[in-house]
Amino acid sequence: MIERWALLSGLMGDLETYELIQKDLKNTRGDITLFVLGDVVGPDKNCDALLNRLVNPHRGDLKPHCIYGWWEEQLLAESGYRGERKADALRLNKGDDVVNALMNAVDPYYLGWISSLQFGFVELDCGLIHGSSKDVGDILTMQTPPLTLLDRITRLNVNRLFTARSKQQFHLELTDAVVDSKVKDLNGKRNQEHTLPKRAVIGIGAGANYTLYDVGSDQTHFLTVGDVTKSRGRGFA
Amino acid sequence: MKHAVISCLHANLSAVEAVLGDIDRQGIETITCLGDLVGYGPQPNEVVELIRDRKIETCQGCWDEDIIDGLDACDCSYPSQLAERRGHMAHQWTTEKLTDENKEFLASLPTSIRRGRSLFVHGSPNSQHEYLLPDMDAFAALERVEMSGADTLFCGHTHLPYVRELGNGSIRVNIKNASDREREDMKMTLPIRRIVNAGSVGEPRHGGVNATYVIHDDIKNDVEIREVAYDIDRTCEAIIEAGLPHVFAWRLSNGFEFAELAEDASHVCER
Repeated sequence: MIERWALLSGLMGDLETYELIQKDLKNTRGDITLFVLGDVVGPDKNCDALLNRLVNPHRGDLKPHCIYGWWEEQLLAESGYRGERKADALRLNKGDDVVNALMNAVDPYYLGWISSLQFGFVELDCGLIHGSSKDVGDILTMQTPPLTLLDRITRLNVNRLFTARSKQQFHLELTDAVVDSKVKDLNGKRNQEHTLPKRAVIGIGAGANYTLYDVGSDQTHFLTVGDVTKSRGRGFA
Repeated sequence: MKHAVISCLHANLSAVEAVLGDIDRQGIETITCLGDLVGYGPQPNEVVELIRDRKIETCQGCWDEDIIDGLDACDCSYPSQLAERRGHMAHQWTTEKLTDENKEFLASLPTSIRRGRSLFVHGSPNSQHEYLLPDMDAFAALERVEMSGADTLFCGHTHLPYVRELGNGSIRVNIKNASDREREDMKMTLPIRRIVNAGSVGEPRHGGVNATYVIHDDIKNDVEIREVAYDIDRTCEAIIEAGLPHVFAWRLSNGFEFAELAEDASHVCER
C-alpha cells in the first residue's frame, strides 16, 4: 500500500474545514499519516471544539500528529509558558485587542495539551516544522534565497523540509549546488569543492489547502478541500 | 589602508600588550576588537581598561555578554562536565573581580560593527555563541556572510585564525507551485564572500602558544594572519596567584585546545 503523509496547518479553530479534510482523507488511497503543523488556534473564532477533536479524535478519524505553530507560541507566551516572554510579536503586529481575542478563543483547559506539543518532527529524512528550523515564526516561501533555505535544511540535518508558516503551497528543489572554498590558516592553504545532494523545501498550505506527500516516490500533491472527490482519476481516491 | 583585528583577549594582559606592540610597530592605527575581553585569564580589569584607554572599537563577545547578564557560560565546546565547572568558576571569579565601571563598559558594547561592506562580530551574525569553524558547511558559511549584507565577515570565538574565501558557487532551483502545471527552473550564481577569523590573543587554540590576530589591507584586499610571542610565564603565574584553576595556566603554556580530555563524552550543553 502506498505510504502517504497528509500535511495541514492554519486551521485557526476551523473545525468544519478539519472535518472536511478528514472526510477527504477517508476517501484517499494509501496508508496515510496525518500531520498537523500548527496554527490550530487563532483569534477569530472559538477554538475549543477543534482542540477537543484533535485531543479526542472521533472513531474513524485519522489520528492527528500535531506540533505547535506561531499562534500557539503567542498563546503560550501570553499564558506564561515561556518564562518572562509574552506575546510580543503578536502585540507588536496586531495590538492588544488581538492578543485578548486569542486568549479568549482558547479555554485554559487546553493549554496543557498545547504546551506539550513539539517544535517539529523528523520523519525519515524529512523535517516537519511550522516555520523553520531557525524559528517557529520564520517564513519560508518560493522567493526565499536558496542559501537561506539550505541553511534551514542543514540545521535539521535532513533532505526535505516541510513548512507551513507562509501558507503557500510549493515544492522547491535545490540541486547541483556547488561552491569552492579556499582556506588559509597557520598550517597553509587548502582548496575544496563542496557539493550537496538534492534538497527540497515544501510549503504545505493552510486552512482548506493541504498537501499529500507520497513517501515512496517523493511526489507532492497540493489539494484543496473537496479535491479528492473530484480527483478520482488522479489516483487519490 | 591597513587595519588590525583582534579577538578573544581573555584577560591575558601580557598577550594583549604584546599584540598591541606588534600592531604599533607596523604603524597601524585602526584596530577593531571582536570581544571576549574577559574570562579564563587573571587580569580582566587591566585588559578592559587598556582597550578603553586605547579607544579601540570593540564589539561584545559571549563572555562579555554572560558576565553582564549574569548567565553562566554556555561555551558549548566544553569537552566535559569538569571543564564546564571550571569555566563556571572562571565566570564567578571574573564577575567578582570586575569593577562596576568596567562591567558598564562591557554592557555598552554593540554586538556588531559595520564598516562599509565589512561586518565585525564575535561569533556569527546570528549569535555571539555560534562557532564559524574553518571546515563548517560551506553553504552555511556563505549564508552567514550573505544574509548579513557583508562581503567580508570578521569573526572570532573559535580561537582558530583563518581566512576562508567562498566563490565559484551556483545552484539550480526548481519550483512546482500549487497549480501543479507551472514549473520554474533556474540556475543561480552564488555570491563571492569571505570569512576572516582573527583567532585569539589571550587563549590560542591553534596548536601553538603564540597569540594571533589578523591585519587586513583594504587596498590590496589581502589578509595576513600574525603570530605574536608573549610572556606566557607572567600570565601563568598571575593565574595561579589569582586562585584560578591551574589547568588554565597549563593549557596556555602548552597551547592545548582543551584543559583535559573529555571525561564525559556524552555531555551536551542544553542551553
